[in-house]
Amino acid sequence: MKTRIYLLPLWLRLWHWANAALIIVLATTGASLHFSDSAFAVVPFARAARLHDIAGVAMVVLYIAFVIANAVTGNWWQYVPKPPGIMERSLRVMRYYAFGIMRGERDPHEPTPDTNFNDMQASAYLVVMYVAMPIVVITGLIFMFPQTAPDRLFGFDGLFPVAVLHYVTGAAVVLFAILHVYLGTLGHTATSQYKTMITGWHEGDLPSGRTSSRRVR
Amino acid sequence: MMQARRRTLATAFALIVASMLSAGAGRAQSTAALDPEKLAEIRDQNAKCFSCHSPAGLKSPPRQDMDLARLGTMLHDPALYETSSHGRVECRTCHGVGATTFPHGADLKKQVSPCSECHAAKVFRIETQFEASVHAKTQKDKFTCWSCHDGHVYNVAAKIGAPRKIIAQDNAMCLDCHNSDLQFSKFAPVEKRRPNIDAIHEWLPNTRLHWQAVRCVDCHTPAARGFSHEILDKSKAEKNCVACHSQESALRTRLYRHLVAEEQEQLGFVNSVFLSTSYVIGASRNPWIDRAVGVAAALLILGMLGHAALRIGSAWWRRRGRRPT
Repeated sequence: MKTRIYLLPLWLRLWHWANAALIIVLATTGASLHFSDSAFAVVPFARAARLHDIAGVAMVVLYIAFVIANAVTGNWWQYVPKPPGIMERSLRVMRYYAFGIMRGERDPHEPTPDTNFNDMQASAYLVVMYVAMPIVVITGLIFMFPQTAPDRLFGFDGLFPVAVLHYVTGAAVVLFAILHVYLGTLGHTATSQYKTMITGWHEGDLPSGRTSSRRVR
Repeated sequence: MMQARRRTLATAFALIVASMLSAGAGRAQSTAALDPEKLAEIRDQNAKCFSCHSPAGLKSPPRQDMDLARLGTMLHDPALYETSSHGRVECRTCHGVGATTFPHGADLKKQVSPCSECHAAKVFRIETQFEASVHAKTQKDKFTCWSCHDGHVYNVAAKIGAPRKIIAQDNAMCLDCHNSDLQFSKFAPVEKRRPNIDAIHEWLPNTRLHWQAVRCVDCHTPAARGFSHEILDKSKAEKNCVACHSQESALRTRLYRHLVAEEQEQLGFVNSVFLSTSYVIGASRNPWIDRAVGVAAALLILGMLGHAALRIGSAWWRRRGRRPT
């Protein structure tokens, strides 16, 4: 059954694209700062430092807005994988990505307003948005106000572990973002999920009578 | 040819003079290893001077016939002097034996020995650097070693050791004038107004943080020459952030040059000698973490490209299979 459902509200789409733009700026300027003497330094150091600060503050504001909006609208529930059968469904998704998609099989998960993400997406986004992002945001804030860092830690400058954590977690978020761009092409067509993220409308292909793939075992 | 030979001879002569003069420098430095008796003698001698020339001396002067107002302008902190680089030098070494009797001679202050008396080799080396500095260009007559280095409190960086303490001492020397209209006016031409130190450094991100983490002279001296007394004005000062914020950081030959020998690549970090004081973006790097990030990125991109190729290939294969024959 061909379906057309309104999946993503405007605030979520606006947040998503603003988040994407900020991650691009932060990743580019962050790499320019950390790898300052390499080909990755595409933005001059002083400018990169200023831009990273500005985009960083914007990211803090945006992240707080995201958490609040998620709490208010109940969208946070989407990020929670629901037992039982999380592993089983995740394996099914992994199997689909590895083999099924090559054979032209149907995606085992069809998004619905109450279960937008498949279990793997939910787990991954939960970790990225509620574990990695808070680490990057908090360490970034300490980086911006270094007087809040402990003066010394384990015989090193107090900012040292903060800086390393910021870099490593930031790099992980960026790598995930790159993967996310590719995974976005794994919809019914290569561009269908991008369209959904722009318009909010998902053009689905649910078997007749189903409202959520999760309910079918 | 003749010119080249003359240059060689001049260089040889300069080296011989420098080596002779360095014997004087050796004398200046040998005071570090004094026997306890000699040290006690020095302290006794200096205590006589500090009995007047210290805040305690002013409070309870040993004599009633002293000009206390004048004495008040010539006080020193005995504790600071004791811990300074000159702490084991008798006052009279520089101030002359005339300083040991009271009343002192009228122009005793003018009879202070020049620094070159002990630091001949250093002065010889520094003089050419100073000649090229902005201070020599604008106020050569007024500027002496003492304009920056107060021998009663100054410590050489190697003796201080801890970078934060070196920074605090050395930046205070610059800011004493460059952050004080009164002091600045004593040296600068009448028409020259003191630029606001914050305003002229506005371009520098995290300005205040920099001032806690590097010395003014780390940027305001020529980049290629290690540490120098050729102080540069803002038009020539270092503005390339990457000079310090890179793996080959200039800080290794400047602020941290006394500690670089102790570099042990702690936790696998390059420039780990900085880490006790600062995390310097671009310089404080761990090649293993960077490699791990690079490998993860490469695997990810290769994986995505491979997956995309298989998708495209399998889609083409399926379409081909459905094609009517």
